[in-house]
This record gives sequence, C-alpha cells and structure tokens, in this order.
Amino acid sequence: MFKFLINPSRFNKFADIIFKPLAVISSLILIVGLFLVYFSPLDYQQGLTVKIMYVHVPSAWLALLTYAIMTIYSIIGLAFKIPFSFVINKAIAPIGAVFTLLCLISGSMWGKPMWGTWWVWDARLTSVAILFIVYLLIIFLNHTFENRDVREKTTAIFILIGSINLPIIKFSVDWWNTLHQPASVSKLSSPSIDLSMLQPLLVMTLAFSLIGIITAILRIKAEILIRKKYL
Amino acid sequence: MITKKIFLFYKRESKLFYSNIVDLFSNILFFFLSVFVFIFALGTDEQLLKTIGIGIIWSLLLLSSTLSLRKFYEEDFKIEILPIMHMGGMSYELIVFLKILSHFIFVQIPFLVSLPIVSIFFNLPTNEIYNLVLTFIIGSLILSCLGSISASMNLLNKTNFSIGSVIVLLFSIPLIIFSVGINNADNDFNSLLNLLIGIALIFLGVAPWSSAACIRLALNNK
Repeated sequence: MFKFLINPSRFNKFADIIFKPLAVISSLILIVGLFLVYFSPLDYQQGLTVKIMYVHVPSAWLALLTYAIMTIYSIIGLAFKIPFSFVINKAIAPIGAVFTLLCLISGSMWGKPMWGTWWVWDARLTSVAILFIVYLLIIFLNHTFENRDVREKTTAIFILIGSINLPIIKFSVDWWNTLHQPASVSKLSSPSIDLSMLQPLLVMTLAFSLIGIITAILRIKAEILIRKKYL
Repeated sequence: MITKKIFLFYKRESKLFYSNIVDLFSNILFFFLSVFVFIFALGTDEQLLKTIGIGIIWSLLLLSSTLSLRKFYEEDFKIEILPIMHMGGMSYELIVFLKILSHFIFVQIPFLVSLPIVSIFFNLPTNEIYNLVLTFIIGSLILSCLGSISASMNLLNKTNFSIGSVIVLLFSIPLIIFSVGINNADNDFNSLLNLLIGIALIFLGVAPWSSAACIRLALNNK
C-alpha cells in the first residue's frame, strides 16, 4: 500500500492521481486559514504582531519535519540500498531550507517589536540558524562530487551526522534559560494556548504542509525525469 | 596478533610524521603568527586582551588545525595503502580509529606545548591556562574526529575545496561553546567538563563508522 514511498514508478502514478485534487484542497484550506487568521483575536499584550505566529510556528515545525523525513530516508537508502530515497533527499532539501529561512525571518520580524532586537544569541535561535547552515551544506554537497553514487551516499551520511541538531533544537528551550518561550502547543498534557488561536494555527499548519507536499511532488517528479535523462 | 599490527601501524605513522615534521612546525607557526596578527589588529590593551584571550586562542586553534586536514587520508588513499591494510585483517573502522588517535598524538599534542607560551602574550591568569590545557586535551580529540569525518567525505572531491573546513567549523560549535564557557562558570566546572567528555565520546562513536563508510565509497568509485 505504501510502496509509492520507495518506488519511483508507483510514486509517479500516485502523484498523477493525487496532484490536482491536492492542489484544489490546499488552496481552499489556505484561503480558509487566512480568513481564520484575519478574524482571530488580538493578544492583550502583543496586539497585532501575534499574527506573525501563524507563519512562524508552522514553518518552524515543517523545517524540523523535513529534516526528520530526510534522516529517515537516509537510513532507508543506506541500509536497504533503495536509490529512490536519495532522489527524495535531493528534492526536498531546498524546501526545508526555505521553511527554515521563513522561520528565521518571521521570527526576527516578530522579535523586533516584542524583544526590542532583531537577533539574540539565544539557544533556540542559534540552533535553528545552524539548521539553516546544515541545509545549505546539504544543497552544496548535492552539487559537489562528479560521481552520482558518491554524491548521494556522502550527502546521506552528512544528513545522519547533522541530525544530532534536531533534539537540540527541540529541547533547547527546556535545557537552557532562553528568551524564546517554551513549547505551548506540543506539550504532552494540555496545550497552554487558547482554542481561538489554536484553530487557525492548526489550519495554517495543514495548509503549509500541503503546499510543501505539492512542491515536493513537483520536485521529485522533475528529479526522476533527470535521472531518466529525459530532462 | 592484532597488537603487532597496531604496533606496525604506529611505527609507520611515526616514520611519516618525522619525514614531514616541517609541515607540523609551519602549522604551529601559522598559529603563532595569527595570534600576533590578532593582537596587532586589536591593540595592546592588557585588560582587553585578558578578557577576550581564551576565545581568540580557541578560534585560532580551530582554524590552524583545519589547515592540515586535507592530508588526513589523502596520502594513504593515493598510494592505496588502505585496502592493503584492510586485506591484512583490520576493518576500516579500526583503521579510522587508529588514524584518529595518531592524528591526536602526532598533530594535536604538539599544539599543547605552544599553548602556555601563547597565553603569556595575553597575560592570562594561571587557572585559565590550566583550564585551557585541560579543555584542549579533550577538545583536540573531538577535532581529530571531525577532521577524519570531513577528510574522508572529501576524498573524491576535486572541485569544492572549502567545504571540508566548513563541515569541521560547523560541528565544532558545541566544542567552542563549552570549552570557552568553562572559564566563566565557577561552580559548574565539573558539569561542563562532563558535557565536553560526553561530546568527545559521541564523536568517537560516530566518526569511525561514518569515515569508514565514506572510505569504502571512495575506494569503490575510484
């Protein structure tokens, strides 16, 4: 059933079926999410700037999720020798880099009115900046070697070593005293965010991940065509 | 049996080390000169040098130890000694581990001698010199592991020369944070030292596996 995740021709068939409905659904969800964000309540302290959260938080989650997917696919590709996982690694690395950059830029635009500074050397901010550099290095390594086999496997090994950074990002707000606030949605008990703000946040997260999936499908299909020397 | 092979390995490494000892001396000279350049650029205010001395020494140590990284495996790879060692009954992981230790002994330990001399230029207090030497013994082991990872990744890389140093600098960020921070934390000394040893153990575990994978890949696609 899930064979389309590791088989290029199955993936192409599945993507052809799913692509148009997915595009319609994701644009509808994005419009609904933007309306919900527009009508969501203002924060009593932060005022209008709280609406940066609806871009900042989904892009941060998706940056981490993209790296986690790349880590899983590197393990699959190296251990079970499935070349399609390297195709996916190469295709979705720039998407993760864009999400990380979006998270950093929106965060610093939020930080200027609230904290009074664009950037602080805080554990969470620094580790996300390192994640962005790791994404850039992955993209550079994808363009470095002449031999394709060497290029793919070296990048996969680098992705595995760089995944040390993921738990550091996740737990940095708990381990160190940071200016960045600790997690308020993904707590194991009950989320400490109000329902009227949680609803638009979750809808926006869904919209962002669907847009990410659409971009990933396009890039993976193009990458498969390049491997087949059609492009 | 294996002890004899390890002994022969280090005999060869020490011969190689003595044959190009000038390279090591020029590395140390680079370190000294960069310290001089830094002091000339900042001015000779004693109080300023005392406060920022440790950070400058650590970052320059990092930069000068990335200079010699390209020849970590390159010579062995070029004359194809690695597969011969492997045929002799040593796994690539063991070879990488021995190579890391020999890099630690023959390249990083000589830097240790130069550290107290450099700290005199910065007028560092005695306990900071002690901390610097202690953290450098652990930190240089981490640097050797990182050097092994980046050098084995770039064995077949003929175009992009700077990416190896970038990888080393990227992964040495926690090393810099903890080894410089150990001076400002009076009561946290032991916990920070334990963190540093923990990072060293993590990289000693990760480096042989990933370097051996990269070396196998490079030998297969030569």
